[in-house]
Amino acid sequence: MSILEYNGGAVVAMVGKDCVGIASDLRFGIQAQTISGTQPKIYKIHDKCLIGLAGLATDNQTVFEKIRFRTNIYRLKEEREIRPKTLSNVLSMMLYEKRFGPYFVEPVIMGLDGPDEKPFISAMDLIGAPLLAEDFVLAGSSASEALYGVCESLYRPNLEADELFEVLGQCILSAVDRDAISGWGGVVHIMTKEGITSRYLKGRQD
Amino acid sequence: MARRYDSRTTIFSPEGRLYQVEYAMEAISHAGAALGVLSTEGIILAAEKKTLSKLLEPSISSEKMYMIDDHIGCAVAGITADANILINYARQSAQRYLYTYQEPIPVEYLVQQVCDLKQGYTQYGGLRPFGVSFLYAGWDEQYGYQLYQSDPSGNYGGWKASAIGQNHQSAQSILRSEWKAEFKVYDALKLAIKVMSKTMDSTTLNAEKLDISLLTRDAKSGRVAFVEVNAKLLADAFKEVQDALEQEKEKENK
Repeated sequence: MSILEYNGGAVVAMVGKDCVGIASDLRFGIQAQTISGTQPKIYKIHDKCLIGLAGLATDNQTVFEKIRFRTNIYRLKEEREIRPKTLSNVLSMMLYEKRFGPYFVEPVIMGLDGPDEKPFISAMDLIGAPLLAEDFVLAGSSASEALYGVCESLYRPNLEADELFEVLGQCILSAVDRDAISGWGGVVHIMTKEGITSRYLKGRQD
Repeated sequence: MARRYDSRTTIFSPEGRLYQVEYAMEAISHAGAALGVLSTEGIILAAEKKTLSKLLEPSISSEKMYMIDDHIGCAVAGITADANILINYARQSAQRYLYTYQEPIPVEYLVQQVCDLKQGYTQYGGLRPFGVSFLYAGWDEQYGYQLYQSDPSGNYGGWKASAIGQNHQSAQSILRSEWKAEFKVYDALKLAIKVMSKTMDSTTLNAEKLDISLLTRDAKSGRVAFVEVNAKLLADAFKEVQDALEQEKEKENK
């Protein structure tokens, strides 16, 4: 049993046309036992940046709290919000600092980057190796194989916000159904220049 | 005679004084004035901007007003470079508390953290004290709106209204006679403008020299914010104060 599969969970982010989306499952469990079906894995950094954390739940919480510390100080000093791309680099550094005693997290970052609000997604492994993709990124050890398959099939470029929601919703729900330790519904956040729309999905409650 | 004891901050004089601390306070009394007024719905902080030159690049940030965290803001009087160090420390302190307790830092606790740092510079190290006084305005769940003042010695106090920097004695006495517990934000704003106009250098009061911020909590959302006072509100308050002052002058002339 890998430590990254202790709590389960899955997160996926996708790029659309002038929009980005991120989705996660809602299960919080300890190995085989499910504690809660209302625990999303996505945190808001600011209006133009969301971060999803899959992996060991306790480390997810700690890494988020550290990120919040850093981004709060950043906002006060620079008098602006941190860009998703910059946050990705900060997180990469933070995780590598713990190279020989890492946080067991698999982060996924999404947002609208820069003054042009260009859609941005990135993911990294537990020691901070970044992955910048143009289409989709995902995290979640146990659900990842199924997620890769379904995302590869359903994804196409330049999806509008509504279509992106459908694609993300279907991807997360069908992938977590293939994984015993992820699921219990899902949440999808779609971010456009106008704002963030969040929708909760009811899935198989097992 | 006293000069022998000036060179070490960590030494008392024979009369029991810490000269370096007193000299720091002297430095602050030459700096641009700042004052704070507590009201039932928020706290007004007003500051006089001294560095006004056409050559100066306009910057978003103020040299007098700083946000420490979402729920705490402060006004500065004294050496700006020293203030920056302390502000940075205060910000880190607030985030450390948030990281440990998952709650916003209580206002008085934050003030104590900064003051403990300032006090250290009056007792250890042989370094000079920070030449800064602060007015902290904040809201927390336990005690609601609070206004604190700290000085280079590391002492602090909670106030209903207070002034620091140039002419703070006269500002303080006007505040003492005119502050009322029933004040709402607009009343506090008018009092702040009135006191600033009486204690500032220039005979004419203009809005560019003043930096006025408000710390208030939105009752519906529960969010606390430290923001510059809305321009229209400021203009209205200015006009009312100016009219009132003119009326006073006319009465005196009669």
